[in-house]
Amino acid sequence: MAEDSAPPPASPSTQSGVANLAEQRRAYIQFDMLVIPLIVLLFMGIFSFHFALLVGDWDYWVDWRDRRWWPLVTPLCLAVLPGVFGYLLWERLRLPLAGTLTILCLTVASWISRYLNFYLFADFPMNMVWPSTYVALGLIFDCILLLSRSFFWTGLAGGFLFGLLVYPLNWPLLAPYMVPVELHGTMLTVADLQGYEYVRTAIPEYVRKIEQSTLRTFGEAVTPLTAVFAGFVNILNTWLWMWVGYLGAKAVWIRKIT
Amino acid sequence: MSAVLRWLVAMGLALVASAVGAHGEKAQMPQLRMSTVHWFDLEVSTTKLSVNDEIVVRGRFMPSMHWPHHVESIEDTAFLNIGVPGPAFVRLESRVNGVPMIRSTRFFRGETYEFMIRMKARKPGRYHVHPLINVKGTGPIIGPGRWIEVGGDPAAFELKAKTLLGREIDLESYGFANVLGWSAFWFLLGLSWFVYWLWKCPIVIPRFKQRDELGVDADRMITRTDRRTGLIYLAVTLCAIVGGYQYAQASYPITTPLQTGRVDVPPADPGPRVVTATMVEARYRIPGRSFRIEMEVTNHGDKALSIGEMAAGNLRFINAAVKPVQPADEDDLVAVDSLRVENAPIPPGETRTVVIYADDALWETQRMTTMIKSPDANVAALLFFYDTDGRRHHVEIGGPMIPVFG
Repeated sequence: MAEDSAPPPASPSTQSGVANLAEQRRAYIQFDMLVIPLIVLLFMGIFSFHFALLVGDWDYWVDWRDRRWWPLVTPLCLAVLPGVFGYLLWERLRLPLAGTLTILCLTVASWISRYLNFYLFADFPMNMVWPSTYVALGLIFDCILLLSRSFFWTGLAGGFLFGLLVYPLNWPLLAPYMVPVELHGTMLTVADLQGYEYVRTAIPEYVRKIEQSTLRTFGEAVTPLTAVFAGFVNILNTWLWMWVGYLGAKAVWIRKIT
Repeated sequence: MSAVLRWLVAMGLALVASAVGAHGEKAQMPQLRMSTVHWFDLEVSTTKLSVNDEIVVRGRFMPSMHWPHHVESIEDTAFLNIGVPGPAFVRLESRVNGVPMIRSTRFFRGETYEFMIRMKARKPGRYHVHPLINVKGTGPIIGPGRWIEVGGDPAAFELKAKTLLGREIDLESYGFANVLGWSAFWFLLGLSWFVYWLWKCPIVIPRFKQRDELGVDADRMITRTDRRTGLIYLAVTLCAIVGGYQYAQASYPITTPLQTGRVDVPPADPGPRVVTATMVEARYRIPGRSFRIEMEVTNHGDKALSIGEMAAGNLRFINAAVKPVQPADEDDLVAVDSLRVENAPIPPGETRTVVIYADDALWETQRMTTMIKSPDANVAALLFFYDTDGRRHHVEIGGPMIPVFG
């Protein structure tokens, strides 16, 4: 692809530093090597900060991941960067990469933070503070964008699956912690037991929001109901953030580059 | 260079060490400390132990009748907690009046509660351990602290539990290998997708230009191989999610949702009321660090009563002539002979005006003098009366406080 492009013609007043196609390609690769790591660092920073502010304890502690709030709050906050940068990368570069790349960056930043801050500094065991996995949601988002080549269908199908699949995607990791135990005549899950035994001075039991809501119409089907509800809400959410990406793509500075 | 590094490391360790020592008890507003929860009779079963040894912290507390109206009440939602720097200890058991405090509860103002917290040492170090009560909407109300020294090898720490299905698990590591495996699988799959597109490098400038040149035909930049790859990745991802879910369901067929709820704690029987006290006037003279409280005291009992102690905001002002008390350690906030009482003892059946003076630098060093900056300027304290047989009776006093600046 790059070979098809001719080197830029030198204007009468300036002289191009690129003499031939090979040099041009080398310059493009050097540009990639500079820009892509910076973008990765930028995504790690802004996504982990954004996620810490909006999801925070729901992702920090295993005893916060309930069936009602965690699968609802998480996709709504998680779809922001894939939505915005998904639009930008597709619209400007035809790269279906933003979903996976942003969530990979979040994953790396989260693991670094949990290991350094929660495990080494604060002494919590890693099996209590591991970050959930969301990479599959980014892959689904990107693949649907690639296959449909449509923001509408990506928002509809990708956004829906994004919300729908948070819980089943993480269930293989979470299930062992939902096994019941007994403590002083009270039934708990293993996760609850960890939350009680590993002292958190500033996080009393009542701060957790465990299934506080009225969405119990379908009896025991708490998780599927929340997942479907999260999916529907996330369709609108994804479209909203793609629209923000569209506004960003219209920015004057990008037009000037073009 | 290495000297600079050593200095930086030393400074960092010093900062960490000071953070371990302080829980911000002095930073809390004096009115909150004085008018929310009165803590007393704090005991620790030991002050030196090794990793895996157990320690019991026990004592009593009374939610104040003068709880400030501008903060949420303890009668709504509260949780008995322990102030330690992270999980240096693990909490094995906590009870208030015998009721397990695994869940949240509420406490009634004016009632007395006995608490106990049993813990196991996890990390070596020297820790200032405080009981505390988290109150929803108000925050932590911190009790008095004790220094606890933990020695031993942190690697030797063990914390086992038995599930209701009969399996013994190690809470320090349970489930983590599984988490790591699944996280690594998804990360590598995502990374391979990134590498697939990165393999087309250079991608930024050429694709940007090509996209611009192709305009509405920009989708031609996506090759058939790209679409096939996308389809394969989508299929693998969906299959792995469904497969993983089925695997987890088969591996852990019995699970329960996270547990929550609230328990009720019956207050302790207060017994017959032997003494009542009503605050008439409270003046705090700032230059002298002296609190003067005038009150009406009625002795309903059959023995004369003397005032042995006034406790306010975790500070203990002791009348040594009645009941000598020594600090348990260097940070135990006891002013050993700082309470002066006028017009006491109170004979049986008599009501009289008593004036007490609590004079000590603790008011200043514990930042209680900022009480004049409170929005309600009310204070409260717990008085401990002793009869001639040495029996103790506690009663709360409280009301508005007037500062004296001269």
